[in-house]
Amino acid sequence: MIDQEGAISPDNTLFVLLCFEGPDVYSTAGGLGTRVSELGEALAQLGYTTHLIFIGDPYKPSTEERVGGRLILKRWSQWVSKYYLNGVYDGEEQKLYDYNESVPYHIYNEIMRPAMEQDKMVVIMGEDWHTAEAMSRTSDLLFWFGVRHKALMLWNLNSLMSLHRINWGRLNYVATITTVSKYMKHRMWGYGVNPLVIPNGIPKRHLTPVDPAAVTKLRELAQQGDPRRQLLFKIGRFDPDKRWMMAVEAVARLKYSGYPVTLFVRGGIEPHGADVLRHAYNIGLTVQDVVAKRPSPEQCLEVIQHTSSPNIDIYNLRFFLPEEFVRTTYNAADATLANSGHEPFGLVALEVMAAEGIAVTGSTGEDYAISLENAIVTETDDPDEIVGYLLHLRRHPEEQKRIRCAGRNTAEQFLWDQVIENLVSKLEFLARKQNIQLS
Amino acid sequence: MVADLAIYTVVHQPRRLKLPAQPIPRGASIPEIYHCVFDERMNERYFRKVAQYCYYPATRMFLDLVRKGMRLSIGFSLSLLHQAEQWDPVLIDLFRELVAEENVEIIGVEPYHSFLFLLDTPTFVMRMRWMADELERIFGKRPTVTDTTEMCMSATIYDALDTAGFTGALLDGRDWVMGWRERTHLYTYSDEEPYPQGIQTPRSLVSNRQSANRLAAKSDREQGPYLLVRHLDLSDDVGYRFSNRDWSRYPLFADTYAEWIANTWGDFVFLGWDFETFGEHHRVDSGIFDFMRALPEELARRGVTFRTPGDLIEQYGKSGCAYHLPLPIDPTTWAGQGGIEFFLGNDAQKHIFQLMGQVYGLARLTENPDLLDLAIWLAQSDNLHLIQWFGRYGPEAEVSSYFTPDEWWSLGPNGIIYEQQQVYKNAMYAMEPYLPVRLMRQARRKNGTRTYRRQSEWIPPDQGYAARHIDLK
Repeated sequence: MIDQEGAISPDNTLFVLLCFEGPDVYSTAGGLGTRVSELGEALAQLGYTTHLIFIGDPYKPSTEERVGGRLILKRWSQWVSKYYLNGVYDGEEQKLYDYNESVPYHIYNEIMRPAMEQDKMVVIMGEDWHTAEAMSRTSDLLFWFGVRHKALMLWNLNSLMSLHRINWGRLNYVATITTVSKYMKHRMWGYGVNPLVIPNGIPKRHLTPVDPAAVTKLRELAQQGDPRRQLLFKIGRFDPDKRWMMAVEAVARLKYSGYPVTLFVRGGIEPHGADVLRHAYNIGLTVQDVVAKRPSPEQCLEVIQHTSSPNIDIYNLRFFLPEEFVRTTYNAADATLANSGHEPFGLVALEVMAAEGIAVTGSTGEDYAISLENAIVTETDDPDEIVGYLLHLRRHPEEQKRIRCAGRNTAEQFLWDQVIENLVSKLEFLARKQNIQLS
Repeated sequence: MVADLAIYTVVHQPRRLKLPAQPIPRGASIPEIYHCVFDERMNERYFRKVAQYCYYPATRMFLDLVRKGMRLSIGFSLSLLHQAEQWDPVLIDLFRELVAEENVEIIGVEPYHSFLFLLDTPTFVMRMRWMADELERIFGKRPTVTDTTEMCMSATIYDALDTAGFTGALLDGRDWVMGWRERTHLYTYSDEEPYPQGIQTPRSLVSNRQSANRLAAKSDREQGPYLLVRHLDLSDDVGYRFSNRDWSRYPLFADTYAEWIANTWGDFVFLGWDFETFGEHHRVDSGIFDFMRALPEELARRGVTFRTPGDLIEQYGKSGCAYHLPLPIDPTTWAGQGGIEFFLGNDAQKHIFQLMGQVYGLARLTENPDLLDLAIWLAQSDNLHLIQWFGRYGPEAEVSSYFTPDEWWSLGPNGIIYEQQQVYKNAMYAMEPYLPVRLMRQARRKNGTRTYRRQSEWIPPDQGYAARHIDLK
């Protein structure tokens, strides 16, 4: 007979987040770092003691407390990272070995045992393939010491990388597998697992209204004196999955159909970037590189202004974009092209919505996107699909306003507080299954 | 019939490698290399387990027995003492208490239980002297008789031990070495007869001045080391077969065993066992402790007296009752069938041994004592012992796989071999930055032009952390 009266609360539960990426600049390579940092922060703000164990900057303190001491950052494998200065995935195998080897003992000795003394349940959440082995070993270790039943273990998948390195049977046995979208859930069925879906979230600050003056200025810059010229924006890794070629082709087709476009792009250092820009050049688009050194949002506008020359089709922003500038651009753009062919969740599109922008998404992990309701959803890799939808919006300005508004409403439903509520409900279900008595 | 019995037991734990092999960061510090190479967590786990079941109860048993008059000789690898000092200083004190007893003689052992003698004989000589210093430091008694690794003995090893200054050494009484000779006499390989043509002694060896050469032989002995031959059958009856229910003589009782010893032809019986025989290889419920406790009385009843190796050398050596034993060039050992093929018999072992040599050679090139030490650790015989089973079956392979850590089997047999090789390869790559030629070039670069240095360290902002921060959403 399962007796489960109590509910999960900061008084009876603490969280351990395992992830390679984390909040340090050194540790952030993509959306995963953002996700785990914001999830940790949100949990701590809700009162939960949260340990985030990640591959940290080797020159920062090994432990750091934030949010009134409730968020405890643990910079792992610093002794390895000091030999690999080019970010979290430099020296990946060396870091992975150390992480797998040492994290489970740390969890048991430094987190689990004290939590047991306080009669607290420990929720251990691993992120992505790098933590799969550590999760399994942690479970084995806790079982060995007879405390496994006091821990809930969840392992979350955010990307399809290196799934061949996961021992799925073992992982599925020791942890509850989750993922961030139904698309990912369906992809994972192929591995013989049926994950629970817990979506990604965004922090509240993304709902802060952007500066209208900055929006106006950016639009003026992009229009280059031609009010008919539309502003598009695309940000992400230069990865074929992000369908950069489709975006560039769409810009060219709009241009040659008599609908000039200014496209701001912010890519990464990946070699595909050269292919994309070469293709843009070959199809007759003019590309202007914009370079700066960690500018403020205002400086971003200035540097674009100083670099601009007539009839630029693509501004290639080759500098760090502050979050505020990114949000301003989301809002100022007629559309942000988040048209990925494969997207586990599509955090960018949700951030666009939060900034009252119009997101052009793909149709994979973006469960929240409903075409022409709160976003534009493309279902093919045909550039004409983007062209068609953009021309439709151009003809229906009232639609634009409605989509922007609906998008923001959608984004509100994906604030971390809401997501954590969803997570907690699932944890309570798992705790009941595990017959954990919550005090 | 024999009137004397000497019991020798050796305490050893290997320093196990970390499998799967941990990749070592380029330029890692030496402590970090050690951390990546050895699985100290596993070593501690096994050490504590063996300490609980064997070291504590067996030491207490022997302490009790020697206080009642039994004489015992005991050897400790520094590999074991290194672990005990780290994880259980109380145990070291207990060992000290045992060794301090008048009835106990300490025996030397190759310090890391390595195959250094197959790689570098002069260094082996120096390490054996160092081992004697260390044992004297720890126990206050200096060994004059020595074991090696796995009781390996050959003409070369003998000569090395002679050079190192030991008065006695041990070997296993294998038929292919002993031939028609009894195992129950004292032997020597020392050749004291004059050579027909004579060889002129270099002046440096006969002068009174202290030689700068640390290998210089000690000349205060009239005789090379005496050889004590382990009685294979009687030793294995206890060390190997005692708890084997399929053995025709099972169960073995102290009175039967004492009878066998007393009825053996010769001067003395020399028995040699792993210390882990008591409580680890044979668990307490096998009756091994009761057996040992009953043995002295049964032997006394049959007129057999306990001696130590030193006693036997004193008694039989000085009275001219030591015989010549020709030693082979290929080492004999107490493991397996008694030949070095137990350690070097399969391809996997041969490859590891080749890697041992390469690591050692590279470490020598670095001229770094800590890396040389690491290379000798990596030359531990256990790393070959543990993979004797590869491609083999039968009782020897069973013994070998018994010693292979359980945790490794999840890698599968081929995985174990691959990962073990990888440990050696990783260690070699990790040693390379310490080569003096490389260090000198690094230093030159560091002291070179400022522009060059800055260029080499400069990371374009777009490829640095900042770019990564934003562009991978």
